[in-house]
Amino acid sequence: MIQRLTSLAALILLFGVSSGLWAQTISVGGTVVDGDMPLPGVSVTVKGSYAGTATDLDGKFALTAESGATLVFSYIGYLRQEVTVANTVSDMKVELKPDVAGLEEAVVIGYGNQQRSKISGAVTTVDIKEATSIPVLRTEQALQGRAAGVQVTQNSGQPGSTQTIRIRGLGSINNSDPLFIVDGIPSGGIDYLNPSDIESISILKDAASTAIYGARGANGVVLITTKKGSRGSKATLTYDSYVGTQEPWKYMALLNAEEYATLMNESRAAAGLSALPGLSDPASLGEGTNWQDAMFQRAPMANHSVLYTNGTATSSIAMGASHFSQDGIIGGDKGRFERTTFRVNSEQQAGDRFKVGQNVTFTNIKRNALAENNEFATPVLRALNIDPVTPVTRPDGTYAYTDYIDSDIVNPINQIEQTYDNWTTNRFVGNVFGEMDLTPNLKFRSSVNVDLALGSQKIFFPTFDLALFPGDPNRPATEFREVNSLIRAENKWSTWQWENTLTYTKEFENEDKLQVIAGYSALESSSTSITASRDSLATNDPTYAFLSNSLNVAPQIPRASDGISETAWIGQFVRATYDLGNEWSLMGTLRYDGSSRFGLNNRFGLFPSFSAAWNLTERPWFAEKDWIDFFKVRGSWGRNGNAEIGDYAYNPIIVNGLNYTFGSEQAQTIGSGPVAIANPDLKWETGEQINVGLDADFLDGRWNLIFDIYEKNTLDMLAYVPNPGTAGLEPGPSNVASARNRGAELAVGYQGGEDDFTYNLNANISMYRNEVTDLGAPVDSLNQPIFTGNVFGSGDFVAITDIGLPIATFWGFETAGIYQTDEEAMADTAQANAVAGDVIFVDQNGDGVINNEDKVVIGNPHPAFTYGFTAGAKYKNFDFNLFLQGSHGNDIYKGMFRYDLNTTNLPISALDRWTGEGTSYDTPRVTHSDLNQNNRVSDRFIEDGSYLRIKSLMVGYTLPSNTLERLGISKFRVYASANNLFTFTPYSGLDPEIGTRGTLEIGIDRGFYPSPRIYNLGINVTF
Amino acid sequence: MNQKATSLTWLAALAAMVVVLASTGCSKDFLNRDPYIGSSAGNFYQTADDAEAATIACYAPLQVEISDGAHFRWYFGDIVGDDADKGGSGDTDEPDLLEFENFFGDPSSGIVLGEWKTAYKGITYCNIALQNIPGIEMDEFQKLAYLGEAKFLRAYWYFNLVTTFGGVPLVTAPLAPSEYAQPRATAEEVWAQIVADLEDAAANLPEKSAYSVSATGRATRGAANALLAKAHLYQGNWSECRARCEEVVGSGEYFLDPNYGNIFTEAGENGPGSIWEIQYANNSGGNWGAQFWSEGTYTNVFQRARGTFAGYGFNLPTQDFVDEFEVWEEQIGPDLIEKVDPRLGYTVYQLGDNASDWGQLTEDATGMQSQYFPRKYFNPASELAPFGDPNPNGGSNDRVIRLADVLLMHAEACNQLGDDATAMASLNLVRSRAAVPTLAAGSAAGAALLDAIYHERRVELGLEGHRFFDLVRQGRAADVLEGFIPGKSELFPIPTAEITLSNGALTQNPGYE
Repeated sequence: MIQRLTSLAALILLFGVSSGLWAQTISVGGTVVDGDMPLPGVSVTVKGSYAGTATDLDGKFALTAESGATLVFSYIGYLRQEVTVANTVSDMKVELKPDVAGLEEAVVIGYGNQQRSKISGAVTTVDIKEATSIPVLRTEQALQGRAAGVQVTQNSGQPGSTQTIRIRGLGSINNSDPLFIVDGIPSGGIDYLNPSDIESISILKDAASTAIYGARGANGVVLITTKKGSRGSKATLTYDSYVGTQEPWKYMALLNAEEYATLMNESRAAAGLSALPGLSDPASLGEGTNWQDAMFQRAPMANHSVLYTNGTATSSIAMGASHFSQDGIIGGDKGRFERTTFRVNSEQQAGDRFKVGQNVTFTNIKRNALAENNEFATPVLRALNIDPVTPVTRPDGTYAYTDYIDSDIVNPINQIEQTYDNWTTNRFVGNVFGEMDLTPNLKFRSSVNVDLALGSQKIFFPTFDLALFPGDPNRPATEFREVNSLIRAENKWSTWQWENTLTYTKEFENEDKLQVIAGYSALESSSTSITASRDSLATNDPTYAFLSNSLNVAPQIPRASDGISETAWIGQFVRATYDLGNEWSLMGTLRYDGSSRFGLNNRFGLFPSFSAAWNLTERPWFAEKDWIDFFKVRGSWGRNGNAEIGDYAYNPIIVNGLNYTFGSEQAQTIGSGPVAIANPDLKWETGEQINVGLDADFLDGRWNLIFDIYEKNTLDMLAYVPNPGTAGLEPGPSNVASARNRGAELAVGYQGGEDDFTYNLNANISMYRNEVTDLGAPVDSLNQPIFTGNVFGSGDFVAITDIGLPIATFWGFETAGIYQTDEEAMADTAQANAVAGDVIFVDQNGDGVINNEDKVVIGNPHPAFTYGFTAGAKYKNFDFNLFLQGSHGNDIYKGMFRYDLNTTNLPISALDRWTGEGTSYDTPRVTHSDLNQNNRVSDRFIEDGSYLRIKSLMVGYTLPSNTLERLGISKFRVYASANNLFTFTPYSGLDPEIGTRGTLEIGIDRGFYPSPRIYNLGINVTF
Repeated sequence: MNQKATSLTWLAALAAMVVVLASTGCSKDFLNRDPYIGSSAGNFYQTADDAEAATIACYAPLQVEISDGAHFRWYFGDIVGDDADKGGSGDTDEPDLLEFENFFGDPSSGIVLGEWKTAYKGITYCNIALQNIPGIEMDEFQKLAYLGEAKFLRAYWYFNLVTTFGGVPLVTAPLAPSEYAQPRATAEEVWAQIVADLEDAAANLPEKSAYSVSATGRATRGAANALLAKAHLYQGNWSECRARCEEVVGSGEYFLDPNYGNIFTEAGENGPGSIWEIQYANNSGGNWGAQFWSEGTYTNVFQRARGTFAGYGFNLPTQDFVDEFEVWEEQIGPDLIEKVDPRLGYTVYQLGDNASDWGQLTEDATGMQSQYFPRKYFNPASELAPFGDPNPNGGSNDRVIRLADVLLMHAEACNQLGDDATAMASLNLVRSRAAVPTLAAGSAAGAALLDAIYHERRVELGLEGHRFFDLVRQGRAADVLEGFIPGKSELFPIPTAEITLSNGALTQNPGYE
């Protein structure tokens, strides 16, 4: 089939060329080489025409052209070369030179590519080949530490848990997630991708680069392309596989049973209570149960991935499949993630002017999840808080319950066993596109993109009973369930998009180059869900957990509910780039975006940007310096939007409850109307950013450096602001607040060695300073700070978002040690209930009362800087890679102990408690009667969350090719790798790499599911 | 390549672009998305039921009393006037109100803020109804009635605002956030809007008799005419006032309850002489007035004596007010009997009185030093809320306009127009119902008659929230009220927070800057 199409295409090509009657036609043939090595797959095009071909396996090419035509030879990784031909020639020899510094590398930008040397915005690319040479569990991980200005944090270490990506700080107090574009398709999340399918990742960081995405670009854009296969290449089949094992790498130091009993007795004594029966002889209890040890386990993971690529002179194809599975180090398959992907990408030249293609992927995700990231129901929290006196199981093998702590703290091992929370997602993402060369300079492209995801969730709550004996009256209500129940939910997210672009490219005689792209994009997306629940299922076997197996025929409330939401978009855009020779590159973008999310008065927004790059290498002073290969400065300004403001937000719900009493019977009559204000002005949040950068290569391209500084202002940020009375209703969201991020990024690379030993070193460092600059009230005194991050153990919110502070700054009481004597405590009237051993809170305003007015900034969850470092080396057939990643200067709020419950286990630091004058100056006494609220939100719970982590370490060996060729194998590599091998941190919790929970809860540890240490063995085979 | 191919190509490209633009070209419709679940402004306001619900929503804010600061009609009408003292547990109980009573009220007080915000809340629901109901396909007669109700209520709120604050922002359609910071309109502009709204309402509202008993409390043609008469009265448009009063009286919809005392009982609510009342129920459970679900009033508990009466002891009648009631001697048989205007007993409780089933008012029982207590909104213990918290659940309606008020407005207008005979006739209707001697024809004329009418207003409508505003309107406030500062005290201050939030678009009233 492909051959037939190929010959058809060749025919059309011939016909097309022969139709040029007025010029003399010549045939040109030859070989393209790098030194002595023939280069297959080199693109050979005739400048200013449709004609073109690619070199074959021997590097040979042949085509016809007009006399005097210019042939353009281009190949990834090599400098482009142009040759003018006057007469027929059959043995032309073209030698391409490697592009050591990657100056001609085509970097994917919005709606197109640009030569790296011409880029004027702030675009970072991730070396995906290097990143995926070691196991990458999910695509977001490939960005962490490898792209300056990009901060990736995990929301949990549980397999399949989402990761948060922040580009250049927090763009908004509402939603700071970047836009993901995969092969031109806007995708909500990228967990469906097989990381080894990825060809390139570009991160658009400044507003000039993202302005072409208009109202959706303000938080940055992650552009991903998948592997396409290339024309004229030979068929290859690649098999990548690894299998590994995961393990926990740290336990928190907690009290053992003896210590626990001692402190509990002391705590009860302080409240005038006698020791509990089981705890009265602490020494007899010994070590007791190590719940963390009982909870954590080794867990397997494995990945298999196959990719086939092939190309003819007129077509290319890539098809692949993969399967990834990972069990959890908590709960094993109860917290499992499984991803199966299929992909077909192809494109075909249909005649000399038409090209059609498609990128299609189907992904099946199965996830079993344990509760994470809260202080009520997660196994981690429970394992940290449950007393060490209670055994996991009784002698008869049944699970034990604790006698000492009630409510939320149950036996975590039994909890895991009783959890059945299963997600299945089937997702189809793909597009079909056609391209047509209208003239040699003008190309039309139309693409229809579809993203359809179907998600099913099933949560089954089986019956269980941890009774010591039948009818045991002492078992807590949370340790048995008498009626089982089931929740089933079906969700559908669907998006279609139609995009059309016209691209005009003109190269002038003086090497100036103009490119204009204009486009039109329409998008509609919707999400629907239906949820139903029943109880009293016939069996406790989760296999038969279906609603229809319920034996309960009585009406159950609520039995079923559903939801639906829609969004529509229309975008129009134009971008012009003009290269003045090699010295200047200018770019201007305008996008006009409309969305159903915006109020009627602001349905459309205009997003302009401008950027320029000045290649100083062309200036004499630089040209004279041999050691400078390339030196470019660039600057950009742009404006874009964040449209993640929710559907229908401008259009508030009508409430039925504005009632009135009429009639002699005083009957209530239902009135209806909005309670919150409709805001027809509601619009996107505006991002405005200035970026100045520098790209330089030194010493034969061995050194390269990229430096950027920026100021990013988010204006029109949504907030709720007190309204004048004339507004009449409660305030709705309005575009009034603003925030600022200022930052700098530096990336330095070095490539060294030669022949048998080569190596490269890459380091990057990023910093941002975030500040809320306005919350919208006309005067500061009317501002309403936003309090977030309620931590139960401390009984209050721990984060504040207010003017002059970074978003979600830790906010609480400053402490000044411990009252050593009752006299000292009595003397301080601000803390009326304090006695010796209690915490001294600082009365900041000196009004003689400790209250909310005395709260101050107690920590900053934002890092001073984050950094990454990679070292790669090759020696003969061995390869080696080391990847370090770290964060410095960020604080963590330790909210993983439920002090409100009085009898939970405690960190080992509790042994340093105050027990008498001079015994402790930082840790208060233990007491069941904490009238002073020693555990209220204060700097006592703030810890430095800095860390440096050996993210991965890998050694690989490639078998000598001559031994393999007989087997039809062109490459065979084996490797061993380790992830999260070592972590250096002062943080005492399980894992310092704590992500966010919503935009405004950063760095709060509620019993964080730590990421595992992983050992893998893998092979890469290419046939 | 040839020229033909090129132009064909261009044609194809053009056609493609046209198709693209046409398919999504109606971008306005394509981008219009309304929620499917719950009602939104987009899919509500479609049916006659929606119109009814939108109209009810206009009434709901009438019951707001505590949110954004406590405010009651009697706060300013009675206490700032000379009919009552603040009362309460002492000077520190609602201290803002004491400051207003003594004419140095604080612009940042929650009392003015509550008054302001509640009025605009009410106006906003009226504006929403007026904007959305016209487009609904339904019975046109009913539609006009709904619109009339909304206009009546909007006029009611603006009447409160203009008499309290003077010229205020005139908002007649729902505002976009960019429009919130409205400057003040002149008082004349506000009055003009009130008159226009009420004229419309009067033209389109049904008479009281056209409503079923289950709809009592809705705005009627009579209510619109009565409020319109009052609007004209406040502006000194005597002939318009007179005409509207005569429309009310001539409608035959209302008559004076022969027993004055009936009016302020639970059974007397919405009685024959009642033109419009704010309805309160004692059976909603109560929610502390924060929202505007159907609910009762705090007036009952605020005005009940303290101590064993379990009230807050506000709005204590002054001696001056008590003294206003006529005392005369009447020859009954052989005896010359001293008679007192019987309305005094229905308006004011005195120490020693038995206050219905609560028991005798004594200093011991109340723990207060007051000689007098308000009676009009006094509720017997048996009428406390049957469940829930009784305090936010008083059942007494607020008698906003009564026929006696209309008759006295009529008398005043006629007097001002020089028709003293008609004036006296109306005045005597009120006096005779109250069982006080009528004035003999020709016994008073001109200014003397006007004084008699002023006196009658005070005693007939005492403790119903009229006094202060009457005094200001009559130009007598400075003479009558101690501490009143002419040029300042006629109006209350614009709430400070509102001036701040308006970004300076609002200006403060003179004397409060």
